[in-house]
Parts: sequence; structure tokens; C-alpha cells
Amino acid sequence: MKPMRERTTEGDVLTEQDVKTERPWNVVVWDDPVTPMSVVVVIFKKIFGYSNNKCTELMLKVHHEGRAIVWSGNRQRAESYCVKLQVAGLQSTIEKDE
Amino acid sequence: MVGNRLFVRRRDGRIEVRLNEAGREVAKEAFGRVVAAERDPTHEWHASLNAPIDPSEDDDSPLASLGRQQEISTNAELAYMTLGEQFLNDAEAWAWLSTLQIALRSTAVANGLLTEEKLTSAEPELMTFVRTIQHFLFSLAECL
Repeated sequence: MKPMRERTTEGDVLTEQDVKTERPWNVVVWDDPVTPMSVVVVIFKKIFGYSNNKCTELMLKVHHEGRAIVWSGNRQRAESYCVKLQVAGLQSTIEKDE
Repeated sequence: MVGNRLFVRRRDGRIEVRLNEAGREVAKEAFGRVVAAERDPTHEWHASLNAPIDPSEDDDSPLASLGRQQEISTNAELAYMTLGEQFLNDAEAWAWLSTLQIALRSTAVANGLLTEEKLTSAEPELMTFVRTIQHFLFSLAECL
């Protein structure tokens, strides 16, 4: 009698070597000397919906380090968030994660 | 300390604008210049409104650039249209905040005020404009 299935799933399962992880895109916000800190926090809350603490933490990172990665993920969404930040008047760019 | 706030969130959710005539004139100048800069490629603020999204590419996605242009214009026009209002809803207040912030950063970029040193040595008239817009933004951010 012929077996019902000749194929197995063996070989269909990707090994660790086969899986290629796409590097994410980062949304970066840059510091400038004129933007009030409280405005940066309000903009982060509005655009990303982060908690007050997280927004303040990111704002301080921008202020002290000159830039901060505020979001990471696929390119299309990164571009969309970057545009929203620019529309709100912040200096923002996207870059591929290193 | 409600007395010296320029914008106040009321119980009904609206935001009261407490700018005097001189304050509204400054806001009018800022909103008007953003509207003009978005339409005029030779305007001194145009470059800061069209900053690169992905600096590693020669050109940004036309869809993203167009979307940005439309959103900046929509916000600036809404802010300009509501200049005379005593009360703003959240969408209008957000348009004010975004457009004031764009005006502030564009002023800084156009005048090379990109470091603390440059900012403190700027001409008095320019500094007055910058400080006034910052004051508006501080007060508005407290309501949002």
C-alpha cells in the first residue's frame, strides 16, 4: 500500500544559518540649542505615545549626547515617524542600524 | 501661577489663548512666514522645512517629502486661521505648537544659531523673537 504522504517537513525548517535578520532602521532626533525641553517631551508623547518617564529620558539623552534613537523598526514606519517629528519641528533623520 | 500663563487648559477641555495684541502679532508673523516658506523655494526658511529624511540617500522618497509638505502647510494654515480665536481645541493647539516650533528652529537654522555660543551672541532683535516664541512654546506645552 502506498503511503499517504511521502514528504516530511524535514528540510522545510530553517536552520539558524538560513535565517537572515534584516537590520532595523533607527529614527534619530538631534539636539539644537533653541527647542525647549518640555516641547520635545510633548512631541514624543504625541507621536509615539510613550510614558512621561520614557519621553523625558529620551529628551535628556538628546540634550546631553546630541542625539538619541527614539524608535527602531522597518524602514517605512521609520520614515513615517521621522516625517511626523519634522512636521512637529524637530530635527530628525533615519539611519540603518549598525 | 495662572496669572502669567499665555495658554490655559480650561475645565471644558478647550485651551484659552491669553496673548495680547502684540503677542498675537508675533504669532501671526511666525505662522505667516511658515506658510510662505513652504510655498517659496527661495524663502530663507525653505531649506529647514525640507531637511533630509535619510541623509545617506541623494534624494528622499517623493511620497514622504510630499506628505511632510502637506502636513506642515495644513498645520501652518490652521494656526494662521485661528489667530484671532480666544479658545483652541486640541488639534488647533497642536497646529500652533508645531508651527511655532518650526518657526523657532527655522529662525535658528537661517541665522546660524546652532550652538549656545552663537545663540547668546545673536542680535537683540533676533533674540527677542527667539525668546518670545520659546515663551509661547513653554506655556503651550504645559497644556498639551
